[in-house]
Amino acid sequence: MVRRVRIPFVLAFVALSLATTLLSLLIGTETLSLGQAWQEWRAGLSYADAPVLGILVQQRLPRTLAALIVGSGLALAGCAFQAMLRNPLAEPYTLGVASAGACGAWTATVLIAGFGLPRAILGISPIQAFAFLFAELDILIVYLLAARKERISPSVLLLGGVTMGMLANGGILFMRYLADPERVVMMDRWLMGGVDVLGYAPIKTLVIGVIPCMLILLAQAAKYDQLGFGAEIAAGRGINVKMLQVTTFFVGSLLTAIVVSVVGTIGFVGLVVPHAVRSVTGSRHRLLMPMSVLVGGGFLCFCDIIARKILPGETPIGIVTTLFGGPFFLYLLMNRRFTDWET
Amino acid sequence: MTRILKAESAAYAYEPGKDVFADVSLSIQAGEIVGLVGPNGSGKSTLLRVLCGLLRPRAGRVTLDGKTLSSYSGSERARVLAFLPQAVNPAFALSVFEVVCLGRYPHIGAFGALRPRDKEIAERCIRDTEVESLRSRDFLTLSGGERQRVLLASILAQEPNILLLDEPTSSLDIHHQIEIFSLLERLAHEGYGIVVVTHDLNLAAQFCGRLLLLADNHRMLAAGAPDTVLTEDLLSRAYASQIRVSENPVTGAPLIWAEPPRGTNGTKRT
Repeated sequence: MVRRVRIPFVLAFVALSLATTLLSLLIGTETLSLGQAWQEWRAGLSYADAPVLGILVQQRLPRTLAALIVGSGLALAGCAFQAMLRNPLAEPYTLGVASAGACGAWTATVLIAGFGLPRAILGISPIQAFAFLFAELDILIVYLLAARKERISPSVLLLGGVTMGMLANGGILFMRYLADPERVVMMDRWLMGGVDVLGYAPIKTLVIGVIPCMLILLAQAAKYDQLGFGAEIAAGRGINVKMLQVTTFFVGSLLTAIVVSVVGTIGFVGLVVPHAVRSVTGSRHRLLMPMSVLVGGGFLCFCDIIARKILPGETPIGIVTTLFGGPFFLYLLMNRRFTDWET
Repeated sequence: MTRILKAESAAYAYEPGKDVFADVSLSIQAGEIVGLVGPNGSGKSTLLRVLCGLLRPRAGRVTLDGKTLSSYSGSERARVLAFLPQAVNPAFALSVFEVVCLGRYPHIGAFGALRPRDKEIAERCIRDTEVESLRSRDFLTLSGGERQRVLLASILAQEPNILLLDEPTSSLDIHHQIEIFSLLERLAHEGYGIVVVTHDLNLAAQFCGRLLLLADNHRMLAAGAPDTVLTEDLLSRAYASQIRVSENPVTGAPLIWAEPPRGTNGTKRT
């Protein structure tokens, strides 16, 4: 049976995503009242004098925006990688980007401690800069391994990415060994991922870096349908397959590198969301990709609510996405949602 | 308007100095089926890819209506030439109707949506290949013969003038092979020009108006009507073994079979 577009489910996904996004603004250590925020805004109070509006604009809004952009970006990159690699288990971290980014962050930490590297250069934290640079280096090496004249070899891309990821994990262990224990705790925490951003500077980075990448990936939707059906038949229909692969690879990896450098490694979003969405929208990327954007954002807002309200303290969101995403993915497997991949 | 696809002294090499084929000239016009035959590794599939513009010839040129093929954009090319590769392994579940609609891509592009007209054309292609009953089936659940018909429908939806098919019957039983070739014959009759790579010399003899025989020395060994190409001498040289040709008692077409290598006994033991 072909999965038809299940419209009631699609609408339910839309509603749920919007609802969790809104809720993530209101629920937290203190539950905020929208009505009171409105009254404070009408009264023209400054943020310092307006308890509710102040928290809403200065703390909750940037956090919700970060969750939205990161969640939607990772979900979209997951869709694109699954189409490009024609592989159900592909996700934004498959090619080692997250591990390489983490390795970069660790390297920076050790350098700060050992060689007096300043904590910020031109306003950029070396931890984020190194995370980004290492992730980009990983992308470049994996690409050079897999690039062929006519197209990129998906299997070499996967093998290269997994190998680079293991290499980066080795590097992380080495850096952990070198670092002093106090920093190990701090860095471990960073790597667990968190959208508890302070102020709007990280949001600016995310908007400038991630949104254009997302627009470029969304513009390839019709081509992913063709590539998913068959690379050669797509080429026969006039699609430049190598160009599509290169675009997807670099833009998707750039998006992931930016996300990792800003919020750490938040796992499973890029794998679970596209699969969950595909089960209600079918495989046409025109619908699958925009829906993944919406659901990815909503899912991360949901996980953030769990992280700060239900679980003790401020649980890192990466733990929540994995604890929720893992079992959900197992559920999808049990329902044999993968029969269509067995070819 | 009839479109003419032409290869002039074309050669192709994946690596410098190692031609897969060289000095191949060929032209395809509306209404004819041209068969590309020859042993494994003789470059038939590569030639087909050069003919449809997926690979650029190393030497010589391929032209469409007198203009070099590479001067056309991908979509322009795909609206005239439709290519069906040997293996299509979809990564996603799609219905037969969706698969056929994918063929409209060269007309609607990356940002357009399917218009009612595109759906009508898809429906027409589904009727032309007689797969109406499969319309809402999952493509991945179809049998080999059904798949080939649906794939044909999906490339017909490109509204091409010339079809380039890489071994469309290689995985089919004898009944479905004949069915596909009969369908191709009808399409040729309707005005399509068809190039088909095949290993089945008997089917080629029966259905192709012209044949091009490629050989292991990467040259074109012969080209022309089936009875001038499918001779014992030429085939034995191309396949480097004893090939026998007799006459099909019913159709009169050449009937080809291979003698077993020396020292073995090809007759059935009882």
